[in-house]
Amino acid sequence: MTHVLVVEDDLPTAREIEAALCDHGFTVSCVDNGREGLLKALSEPFDLIVLDRMLPGGLDGLGVLTALRAASVSTPVLILSALSALDERVRGLRAGGDDYLTKPFEFIELTARLDALCRRRAEPPATTQEPRLRVANLEIDLLRRTVRRGERVIELVPREYALLEHLMRNAGQVITRTMLFEAVWSYAYDERTNVIEVHISRLRRKVDGEGDLPMIHTIRGAGYVLRSPE
Amino acid sequence: MYSVHLSEIPRTISFRTGLLFLGLFGCSFLALFGYIYWQTAFYLKTEADTALYRQVENRSLQSPELQLAEIRKHAVQDVEGRLPHSLFDEQGKFIAGAIHRLPPFAEYDKPQEFRWLKDNGHHRPVRFMVHRLPDGKTLLVAQDMHDIREFDELLINALYSGGVLLLVVGLFGAVLLGYSAHRRLDKLSRSIKGIIEGDLTGRLPILGNNDDIDRLAGVVNGMLDELERLMSEVKGVCDDIAHDLRTPLTRLIAGLERAQRRGLDEAQYATSIDAALTEAKGLLLTFKALLRISEIENSARRSHFAPLDLNVIAADAAELYEPLAEERGISLTFNSSQMPAVIAGDAQLLFDAVCNLLDNAIKFSPDHSDIHLTVIADQIAVGIRVTDNGPGIAPAEREAVLRRLYRAESSRHTPGNGLGLSMVSAVARLHDMELAVSDAAPGCRVDLLGRPSPETT
Repeated sequence: MTHVLVVEDDLPTAREIEAALCDHGFTVSCVDNGREGLLKALSEPFDLIVLDRMLPGGLDGLGVLTALRAASVSTPVLILSALSALDERVRGLRAGGDDYLTKPFEFIELTARLDALCRRRAEPPATTQEPRLRVANLEIDLLRRTVRRGERVIELVPREYALLEHLMRNAGQVITRTMLFEAVWSYAYDERTNVIEVHISRLRRKVDGEGDLPMIHTIRGAGYVLRSPE
Repeated sequence: MYSVHLSEIPRTISFRTGLLFLGLFGCSFLALFGYIYWQTAFYLKTEADTALYRQVENRSLQSPELQLAEIRKHAVQDVEGRLPHSLFDEQGKFIAGAIHRLPPFAEYDKPQEFRWLKDNGHHRPVRFMVHRLPDGKTLLVAQDMHDIREFDELLINALYSGGVLLLVVGLFGAVLLGYSAHRRLDKLSRSIKGIIEGDLTGRLPILGNNDDIDRLAGVVNGMLDELERLMSEVKGVCDDIAHDLRTPLTRLIAGLERAQRRGLDEAQYATSIDAALTEAKGLLLTFKALLRISEIENSARRSHFAPLDLNVIAADAAELYEPLAEERGISLTFNSSQMPAVIAGDAQLLFDAVCNLLDNAIKFSPDHSDIHLTVIADQIAVGIRVTDNGPGIAPAEREAVLRRLYRAESSRHTPGNGLGLSMVSAVARLHDMELAVSDAAPGCRVDLLGRPSPETT
């Protein structure tokens, strides 16, 4: 079971995070200051750390992170911050953070990102060298950049191909619009209208069209998941 | 008006400057006058001495008989005793002349002075010279110095009275200057106090003579104009925010209260919660957008600026929006520029700005219309132009649409928070670009143009 350390000083927020992560199936330990967080992270093995950027006392989130990385603790860290400026994000990631989420956030975004961090850690990089990706009867040939579903060859434009590749690599996992946008378009997502929705529905028409069972599903209010129809 | 206290005048700069100049002028006055006095006195004394030498010389050349006769005659003619001559024998006994006794003297043939007690009982200052004649007699020639002394005194008196007059007029002038400066500063301070107390329409008084204070007041007035504009803008934004957020909040609360009031089944509860979540998320988005704009306006991001090609950014944005346009049968045409459109900027912000412009164009265009995204790069300008053939924006509203939360009358019923164009406008300002909305007849043309950076031309 995935064990998550949550370092968050605001008690109601910490309770909500704990509840959301427990509902998602994680085991959660909560501490409310940087010093305790650092001690706990050094003494117990955690799979993930959710770290608030601003903490009371002498040791703030970045301080904890720097100390952890200096002590060669490589547990993935997701930074939570009320500071949205791009510089802050860059600073957080530079200090050794693996992901950065700005408050207020949606819990589905948090859990989806934590899942992604977890998976990234569990997967040895060797799997990326495999020349093809396959989910049920949907297959991508990464070398020739061709897509087939069963016998049917699917023609995709480059962006659709990148979208599908990302969904396939994370098959079975919820990918939020923000994560998808950041991964496929290399810009930060400025939540606007339903642009991504349109791109996905185009892709869906091509992948799930013509009587096949649907594989690309929309998770309402959150994002998308590609899973095997069985 | 008459609130100026005399005790405050000495503290004014004008008064102190006045005093300083009075001091300087007084010193030069003293020096000049002293020099004139010294020169005049020296000149007169030298003149008198020369006369004495000359007379001694003249008398010495005369024969003793003529000498005696002349001295006697001179004593009779010179009744006033202006140039008294006298002759004494070897023992110093009086022979002839106006002065009857030989005054004590230090040396022969050297001008000296003594006070001559005349027969009529008057003392006169006299400059004299004693000469021993070849025959052993002693000759005394003298000159009355009274007039010269009087002239000296006159000069000194003139100096005194002139000095006093200078002092009085100077002091009076300094006080007057101090007083007027103090009154003027008082007026300025009162105006400033009024402005501090909240009268933002107040301005500093200007006399129109373009002096130092006038110029300063002019600059401050310019600053006040800008402040007033900003304040009214902030107030407008606050009002707009209050209004725009109250509406969704009201809907949110109403929905929740309705759910609380009625006995709902599970499905209805879920629907109510979904509706509430949608409203709350909408509110969050508005806040995020507002924060984003102020973050851009803080212009802290200029430090990240790097050279970039607008063609790349516009192509990315066009590619992102193409499916959305296609869904509505709108043809979105992207025209790249011949030359690379390189500017120094923030790629993310420019991408978001172009996306906002495309989003607006698609939102307000009728189905099956055309939208053009053009990158411009020539000698005069580098930038992006978005043209649509939607309803356009009325000329009266073209300035206002750039304001935060402003929504044109025609757009009230389309989704959005009224922050798109103000975000673009903030990005434009950060990049020193101009955002202009004009008529595409029919439709709307939005230009986001800046000057080409020097290294690319």
